[in-house]
Amino acid sequence: MNVHVGDEIPELVKHPTTRQLVQYAGAQGDFYEIHYDQDYARSVGLPGVILHGLLKAAFLGQLVTDWLGERGTLKNFEVSYRGVDQPGRPYRSRGRVTKVDGPLVELEVWGEDPGGNKTTVGSATVEMKG
Amino acid sequence: MATTSVVDRLRARVGHSAPPVSAAVEAGHLKRFAEAIGDPNPRWLREAPPTFLVALVPTSMHLAEAEEYGKGWLNGGNRFEYVEPVTVGDRITATGKVADVYEKTGSSGSLLFIIFETEYVNQHGRTVARLRGTAIRR
Repeated sequence: MNVHVGDEIPELVKHPTTRQLVQYAGAQGDFYEIHYDQDYARSVGLPGVILHGLLKAAFLGQLVTDWLGERGTLKNFEVSYRGVDQPGRPYRSRGRVTKVDGPLVELEVWGEDPGGNKTTVGSATVEMKG
Repeated sequence: MATTSVVDRLRARVGHSAPPVSAAVEAGHLKRFAEAIGDPNPRWLREAPPTFLVALVPTSMHLAEAEEYGKGWLNGGNRFEYVEPVTVGDRITATGKVADVYEKTGSSGSLLFIIFETEYVNQHGRTVARLRGTAIRR
């Protein structure tokens, strides 16, 4: 196992569109209007439609599983949503190794908007195969 | 005050489980979900990707009365704990409960936090995952 504290994992850049939000709404079964109805979103004080928090979580999940591959298993995954993100802007997912304890590896993960603001922050614990 | 009573009524739900909800993991749903999140990993044709369980069965109890508070919902965060992989053909039963309800007042006004916890059990009676979610009314 060649994983060390401080290692950055390969970033994942997504280009979410309003179309993807509608597709995700259908796949998750979350039809809250703030994700596809611009007028509704503005009526509740948002700048326009925003990404589902769980879609951003899915991007961070992919970040981790792409990096991990078949080398181990995801045990814990936690995300906090700190800011809203709008479609039409690239969303950059990043992460780094924060702890290695035997087979257990902890990662810090986060998602950035184009301004570099961490609008989603989280962590993951993976168990590497022996 | 109306706002206070909504919080009190919701607080009375803390610790109570909602009726369990079951669903089968279907290949077509997995495929649509993987396409929607834009993850092309062929592994997800058979196995549930990390956030799929939220799409399989509802993770929050229907708390319509919370909508008397503020004007919109926000997702504050999600914490997943994975025990066993979930694959096509599994039948998953989710049991959710309200774990906590509290109010916070910040510079932009009051927020109501509702913490949900859901346990997912497969057809063999084994827990496959747990989820803790924070829903916010603002």
